[in-house]
Formats: sequence, C-alpha cells, structure tokens
Amino acid sequence: METKHANGDNLLTCKGVTKSYNGPIVLDNVDFSVRRGEVHALVGENGAGKSTLIKVVTGATGRNSGTITFDGEQMPLEFSRKDAQARGIACIFQELSLIPGMTVAQNIFLAKEPTIGRTRIIDKKKMNHQAQALIDKYKFPLKAEAAIDSISIAQRQLVEILKALSDNAKLMIMDEPTSSLTKTEVEMLFEIIHTLRGEGISVLYISHRMEEVYALSDRVTVLRDGKLVSILNKDMISPAEIIRLMIGHSISEKAVHHRLESKRSPVVLEVENITTVGKFENISFSLHKGEILGLGGLVGSGRTEVVRALYGIDPIDSGSVKFLGTPYVPSVKASIAAGIGFIPEERRLQGILATQTITSNIGIANLDVLAPKGVVSIRKELERAQKGISLLNVKPPDPSHLVGNLSGGNQQKVVLAKWLVRDLKLVFIDEPTVGIDIGAKEEIYEHIRKLSAEGVSILLVSSDLPELTRLADRVLVLRKGRIFHEFKDCVLTGEKILRAASGIIEEAADEA
Amino acid sequence: MSSHATRRLILLSLLVLIAAVLTLMNPVFLTAGNLLKLLQEASQTGIVAVGFTLVMISAGIDMSIGGIIALTAMVSINFISYTKLPVYVFVPLTLLVGVAAGFFNGFFITRFKLPEFIVTLATKGILSGLALVIAVKDSMGFVQNVYIQNEAYLWFGSSTFGGLYRTTIAFVLLGVGTQFFLKNTRGGTNIYATGANASAAKLTGISTERTVMGVYVFSGFCASLAAIFISSRMMTAMPELGIGSEMDVIASVVIGGTTFAGGMGDIWGTMIGSVFLALIKNGILKLGISPWIQPIVIGGIIVLTVIIDVWQKKLSDRLATKSKLRKIASAPGRRAA
Ligand SMILES: Nc1ncnc2c1ncn2[C@@H]1O[C@H](COP(=O)(O)OP(=O)(O)OP(=O)(O)O)[C@@H](O)[C@H]1O
Ligand SMILES: [Mg+2]
Repeated sequence: METKHANGDNLLTCKGVTKSYNGPIVLDNVDFSVRRGEVHALVGENGAGKSTLIKVVTGATGRNSGTITFDGEQMPLEFSRKDAQARGIACIFQELSLIPGMTVAQNIFLAKEPTIGRTRIIDKKKMNHQAQALIDKYKFPLKAEAAIDSISIAQRQLVEILKALSDNAKLMIMDEPTSSLTKTEVEMLFEIIHTLRGEGISVLYISHRMEEVYALSDRVTVLRDGKLVSILNKDMISPAEIIRLMIGHSISEKAVHHRLESKRSPVVLEVENITTVGKFENISFSLHKGEILGLGGLVGSGRTEVVRALYGIDPIDSGSVKFLGTPYVPSVKASIAAGIGFIPEERRLQGILATQTITSNIGIANLDVLAPKGVVSIRKELERAQKGISLLNVKPPDPSHLVGNLSGGNQQKVVLAKWLVRDLKLVFIDEPTVGIDIGAKEEIYEHIRKLSAEGVSILLVSSDLPELTRLADRVLVLRKGRIFHEFKDCVLTGEKILRAASGIIEEAADEA
Repeated sequence: MSSHATRRLILLSLLVLIAAVLTLMNPVFLTAGNLLKLLQEASQTGIVAVGFTLVMISAGIDMSIGGIIALTAMVSINFISYTKLPVYVFVPLTLLVGVAAGFFNGFFITRFKLPEFIVTLATKGILSGLALVIAVKDSMGFVQNVYIQNEAYLWFGSSTFGGLYRTTIAFVLLGVGTQFFLKNTRGGTNIYATGANASAAKLTGISTERTVMGVYVFSGFCASLAAIFISSRMMTAMPELGIGSEMDVIASVVIGGTTFAGGMGDIWGTMIGSVFLALIKNGILKLGISPWIQPIVIGGIIVLTVIIDVWQKKLSDRLATKSKLRKIASAPGRRAA
C-alpha cells in the first residue's frame, strides 16, 4: 500500500522494527512512517503493540532489530528517552508519568528545569513563571504552584499534556490521551492538536475511540498482533473498514438495550440524602432489581465519590442507605459479604497487583469462594481465571502471565474480570471501558446486559455518552456534587446528558 | 505542605520541651560544655544520616554504612601506623573507601536489579570482615588498640573557638550544602522523582540508574567522612567502630520526617532528628538511667514516629477535604434546587 517509503517528507521512518520482551515477539518487522505536519493515528486491539511501538520510538525501551530514522538522522540501536527528547520526540505515555509530592510546574519541567546560567541550579521563579505562561496559553484550569496530589485525575492528564508540549517537539506522540478526559477537555485537546499541525508539528495519536481517530487524523496505521496491517489515507476508508482491519472481522453494534418497563421490580438499593462534606450533597435515588442506573456528569462532578462512599471506602457524613429494605452502613467488608461489587475507575492504581499473575489477581477478589476454609483451591482459582480470560478476551490468554507485563487495555480487562466472575446482587462500575478496544467493548456491554437480565442491579458511572445511552435504563446527571437532573422513560441522547452535565437544564428538562 | 510544617513545629517544640525537662532535673545539662558535646555527638551520627537521607528519599536503604565506617577507620589507622604520608594526602584517599563501597552498592543495585537491602547488607558483611583483616595486629595476631598521636589527624575531632567541635561545623556545612543541592538543583529533583515514582521518572528522561548510583556513592562518602571524625575524636579505632550504627542513623532520618516509601523528606529534618536523638541519649545518661535501655528507647522512638506519621497523614487528608468544602460553599453560582 505504501510504495513511496523513502520520500523526503517523512519525519519518522521505521523499517523492520522487531521487539520482544524476552520471549514472545511483540513487534514483528514493522514498517511505519510519520510525515511532517500530519496527524497520524495508530490503532489496534489491546495488546496489538501500539504502546510498545511508541516506547521503542521514544527510547523508553530498546528494540531487537530494525532501523529508525528521525528527521533525516539514523537513531542508534540503543538510545535513551533523553536522546529522543533532545531530537524533538515528545510523548504522553499511556501510564501517567507524574511525580507525587511535586507541584504542577515541577512536573511540567521535570528533567528540563530552567537553570541559573550554566549551573545546574534550578531557577524556581522562572520555572513557575514559564509554567503559568504555558497553562495560560492553552487556557487550562490549573495553577503552576498547586501540588499534583491536590488536583483531579483529569487535571493531571492536562499536566501530562503540558509536560509534552513544553518539549518543543517536532513529533508529539499521545498514547490514549483522552481516556480520562471528558468531552470539553477532549475538545480542548483537539484544538491543541490542530494548532500543532498548523505549526508543522507531526502528531502520532493512539486511541480506541474511532470517532476521534476519524475526526482528527490524516492517515491511519493499523497494527494487529504486532504486525503492520496497513497504512491508509483517511479519505480512502471508513471507520467500519478500520475496525475490520483491526480485529480481522467486522462487528455490528448490538441493538439498543431494551429499557425496563415502568412497572418496577423491587428496590435493591435505596439512598436517601447522603452527604459527605466536600464531595457530594443530598444524593437520593433508588436502584431496582436488574436495573442499570447510569451516573453521568463531568469529571469531578462527584460521581466516583458517590460510588466509593456507597461501597464503603470513604465515609458518609449524613443520610441513610437501605440495601434490600434494611438499613445498611456501607463498609468494604460488609459490601463484599452482601454481594456488592465495585470496579474502580483508576484501575491501574487501585485494581491490580502488577507483580502477580492473572490467576492470583482474579483469585484475590474471590477468596471467600475459593478458600472458604482458608486454603485456596488452586484448581478452582485457575477455573475462575480461565473463565475471566475468555469472558473478556484477555491477551495473551495465559493465566500465569504477570499482570504488570500486560498491555494497558488488558490490565483493565483483568480488573473487570476479577469482579465479573463473581455472583453479585449489586455492582458499582466506574468507567468500565476506558482504554478497551472496540471488539472487547461490545463484549463487555453484552456481559453487563446479561448481568442485568439475570437480576443484578448496576450503578454505572461513565463519561462515554454512547455507553450511557446504550446501556442505562435511567441516567442521573451529577453536577458539583449534587443530582442535577434525572432522565427516565425518555429517549436518551448523549447531547442531552452533556447539556445537563454542563448545567444547562432548560432544554434537557423538556423531555422529562 | 502545611502538614509538613506542623510536623516540624511539633518536633522542634518537643525538642525544647525535653531540653527544659532535662535542665530542671539536672542543671549540668544546660552548661555550654554539655551542649557542645551533645551537638558533637549529634554531628557524628548526623553526617552519616545526611547521606542516608538521600538514599531514603530515592526509596532505597543503605545497610552498609556500619561496615564503611569500620573499614575507613582501619584504613586510616594503617596509614597512620605504617606510613609517613601527610594527613592531606591520606585522608582524601581514606574517603575513597566509602566512595568505592557506594559504587559497589550502586552497581549491583542498578545493573543487576538486586534489592537494595540485600546488596548493602552483603557489602556490610564484606567490609566489616575486611576491617578485621587489615586491623593492626600484635605479634600474637590479636587486634591491637592503636593510639593515634598524629596531631594533624587529631585536628578533625578537636574543638575550635568557643569549644565548638569541628565535627559540628562539618555537619552543618554538609547539611546546608546537601539541603541546597536537594531542593535547588536538577540532581536533587531527580532523587525525589526517582524515589516517588521510578518508572515515571524514567519515562520523563531521568537516568534513574545514575541517580541511584549517585545516592549510594554519596552515602558511602558521608559514612567515611564520619569515620574520620569519630576516630579522630576517640583518638583510636577498633575494627568494630560504627557496626550497628544503622539504628541511630535510621532513627535520626525517620524522626526528621523522611519516609521509607521514598520521594519525601529533607536534610533540615534529619539535622533536627540527629540533635533530637542525641538529646534523648544524653538525657538517659544525665538522669543516671541505665545506658542499656538506650537501644530500647531508640527502637521505640522509630516505631512511634512511623505510627504518628501515618496517623497524621490520614488526619491531614481529612482536613484537606474539609477546606475544599469551604471553598465550594463560598463559591458563587450554586444552583438553588
Ligand atoms: N514490560 C513487558 N514485559 C513483557 N511483555 C510486555 C511488556 N509490556 C507489554 N508486553 C506485551 O506486549 C504486547 C503489546 O503490548 P502493548 O502495550 O504494546 O499493547 P497496546 O497495543 O498498547 O495495547 P492497549 O490498547 O491495551 O494499550 C502485549 O501482549 C503485552 O502483554
Ligand atoms: Mg497501550
């Protein structure tokens, strides 16, 4: 498909790049190129090798063979992250790479702090000043001197973006930068990408969201199982075609979830006026058996805080909760015993034991079943692990694989699996499909629907609007820690949810 | 930030309080002589603790410091006993013992990705054995207690104007310099970043290997430096010198607010911590309590400090959310339901 490989307008050219992390081959003879001033999307299933390819290009990890030419210069077989930065390769990695305990400014300028003269003494004033100037330039809601630990996940992602922008890059690489951003922030990012392209900077963009890929990119590279499938000009191809190339067959979005009839099943969870100072106020709702209740809203609107409190991780200051008709004081222990599950949002931080195998990661959440007398049944543990792996299509499907060595999306799947293989009455799910590829996403939706059909009640937090509209029976929109609007018995659209989340209620209210 | 300041304030108040109690119970405590001696003791531990602090901020641990002190002292004794080299030649050479040991530690930790604790513990074993091997022996092969008479060498452990010990001056200079390095240079920032999140630091382009190497070399250097001052002050040195001193050093660092998890802490804290520890030890002595309980007290203090730190972190997290609430409550544009 690409014959003009050697043409001069390539900024980055990879030829025959092969990489294996002592064992299986992760990148197999990949030819790949990025032109000057283009936005280039890199797509593929979880574990296809996208992050590995950019880690090789950015010097974060080595390669076994193949040549990389950047800006006319051949890169040596071994080069450091720093070498790559110096040549103008900036990157936002999939895993957050910020340092806790430091300020926003310190993080933005980490390892490239402005110094006094030729010394290695940091000019703090100048650093804060430059950081604030950068923040203001892109109109981000941040303060240069704020501590990283005090800002939200979405804000941290913005810091991550600024960190890369401050590199004066020729090539800006972004590995799933939008996965923890909401629509408004995503739009900000898109604007930045357009500006960068206007300035002649190339952007290499990784995303599982096809509408983003399609809206942004000039060319698309598809990777499958570590091999290059093709490089395509966007105007020559449809999103459905990209998906077909990615997973090897086409998928059909299953029909919209059939909504619960107004004749309601019994109430499972009844929440009355719960408040936790500083997090949320006067939240009341009831959740019925087999119902999927969506929680929408902007990042930082208090959705995660509500489910964390209901699961018993954080305290509730006032209000009452009833579970199956009896008063219930949430605590993690009681929740597990009662058959309540929780799939957290920040899965890589809260949900995985990186140095353990898939089997023990899944096993640990199911010890009550696997080891009722204190001794784990290895056989049952393995069975569960295999069930989880096939349920969510984890790659590689090897139960003894260390979770820390899985691709980002596959780590997410393991955390999902660990809860989904349980027998639950009620489950809180926070952003179930962030970073998960399209094929697996449909399977997860299918599974959530199946759970609901079996009578499991589900509280679903999601920033992915189609996800809410396709799955939820009702949607509560939170804003600044309060319930701002409830959508029920109406045709949901992402548009309506977004408007409510942004505080525009008039039009949204019409339908209710 | 403010919880950090509170902690420091509490520590300083506690320091003054204990000093006041000691003065009331034994007036000798408040004499210039005793205070200067106390500072001198604090400095001997403190010099080692300065290097150790950097190791702990990088999320490592250096168990080899005792062995480094012992071997350094023995190398010195050998120079003094068997050569006529002037002090300004052999002392710098002696300091290389710590630097070399630090390289050794750093090399095995970064190159072979071995656990810090094991590598440095092994180093300690090797060095303390070497110290015994090279110790000055009599004709029967027993370790001889050499009295140091080299005036120039004794200069290090002696006092200067107003009775202030040179060890104390060295400690303050080293402490201030290292604090500045930590907080104001790229190298210092790299140590915090490496300790807080090594993989993130790496992705940002920091050479975490070089950083780790650096902190162990510096820690070794500090231990060797302390060995010179201690042996000079004692006017002699045994091959066991410094063995077991990890306890005091770790206590000083932990009391000062540097955590085992890494990414946090500073030298000011360690300096206060070393004085605090010396004060406790001095107090036990001055009050006529059996010195055997010293290690029990120090062990207890380490545990207590760690407990309080964990507890305080929880408290400050909770206070932080409360203050956020106040901001939210006072913010305009709240929707009336
Ligand atoms: N450090 C590692 N050690 C061993 N194997 C690894 C390591 N990192 C990644 N892999 C393996 O390499 C393969 C490709 O992973 P990579 O992270 O590049 O996937 P990806 O395309 O970025 O997927 P995702 O969409 O889930 O982020 C996976 O099979 C993964 O298990
Ligand atoms: Mg990835």
